[in-house]
Amino acid sequence: MPDIKFRLKRQDPHSKKNPEARWEEYTVTYDGENLTVLEGLFSIQEKFDGSLSFRYCCRASICGSCAMYINGAYRLACQTNIKHLDTDLITVSPMPHLPLVKDMVVDMDAFFSKYEYVMPWLIRNSPDPEKEIIQSPKDRKKIDMPVDCILCGCCYSSCPSAWGEENYLGPAALLKAHRFEVDSRDEAGKERMARWSNERGVYRCHTIMNCVEACPKELNPTEGIQWLKKAAVRRKLFGKAK
Amino acid sequence: MKAATVSTYRGGMWSWLFQRITAVLLIVCLAIHLIFTHILSIGELDYINIGDRLAHAGLTAVDIILLAAGIYHALNGLRMVLMDYWFTSRKRALTLTIGLWVVGLAFMGYGTWALWPWIS
Repeated sequence: MPDIKFRLKRQDPHSKKNPEARWEEYTVTYDGENLTVLEGLFSIQEKFDGSLSFRYCCRASICGSCAMYINGAYRLACQTNIKHLDTDLITVSPMPHLPLVKDMVVDMDAFFSKYEYVMPWLIRNSPDPEKEIIQSPKDRKKIDMPVDCILCGCCYSSCPSAWGEENYLGPAALLKAHRFEVDSRDEAGKERMARWSNERGVYRCHTIMNCVEACPKELNPTEGIQWLKKAAVRRKLFGKAK
Repeated sequence: MKAATVSTYRGGMWSWLFQRITAVLLIVCLAIHLIFTHILSIGELDYINIGDRLAHAGLTAVDIILLAAGIYHALNGLRMVLMDYWFTSRKRALTLTIGLWVVGLAFMGYGTWALWPWIS
């Protein structure tokens, strides 16, 4: 049974006794070949310290709850098999540049306010058809990339433009805006565009591309944001974004 | 974050678009400028020879476009950088924009004044 050492960044900023950050090490022994980082954290919580806090839900890399900073990269703890990390020391810390709640749990309130702000739903002005709204396979293909976003927040945490500017919408919200703007069924037009086509929206993106590197689903928020910039010009000059 | 905080921000598209347009103009005009200055040289780089070259209306036009595009591209780039730091609020950003326009127009005026003997 192999042993694996976990080095965890622990902090409870609201604690009166010990609000400082500290690194704690735990050795986890496991059977077989397949241990994910999330399972390692469960093991630590059960055997060593029940107060260790972290978010998780689906355990199938589809809910985006367990995004953490693992061995120097943004990863989903449930998706990361430790044997693929090729080391016997696993360093886990919360996603940086976000307000800390406790241990691996960060405050995602601003992230979700911005997500909601870009109106992430289909907006229709024409009367609803009697049957479903038909979408061609070619048009569906256009939303293949952005629909896979699971809102884990890795891109938002990794974006230098978002670190220094609390009002910048960030890559996740803008990728979601792209997902609906590019959709052939959406008719929001200028209503949604006013929310992302401004200097705290798409024009604050300097194509640093940290978001592309951070995304555990291998999506490309920068590409989505660049599409939006061009769509704003097309809508302004030619009256049509798509 | 309150939604109203974000909704007060408007614009940005034109400065983004002109940054791209001036980038293309810079590549074209800079290439013409360098080719005529260094490759298709007109002999000694002295006042009379440079004066002769500038007397050509096309080249003067290229130089003026180069000047305008260069100033816009540089100051707008600087504005984008500074807006990431201290000039984050709407009021500060507006002050910065006005300040940079004054600087840019002053540079443009000075450059045009230097070229004026050949323009007129």
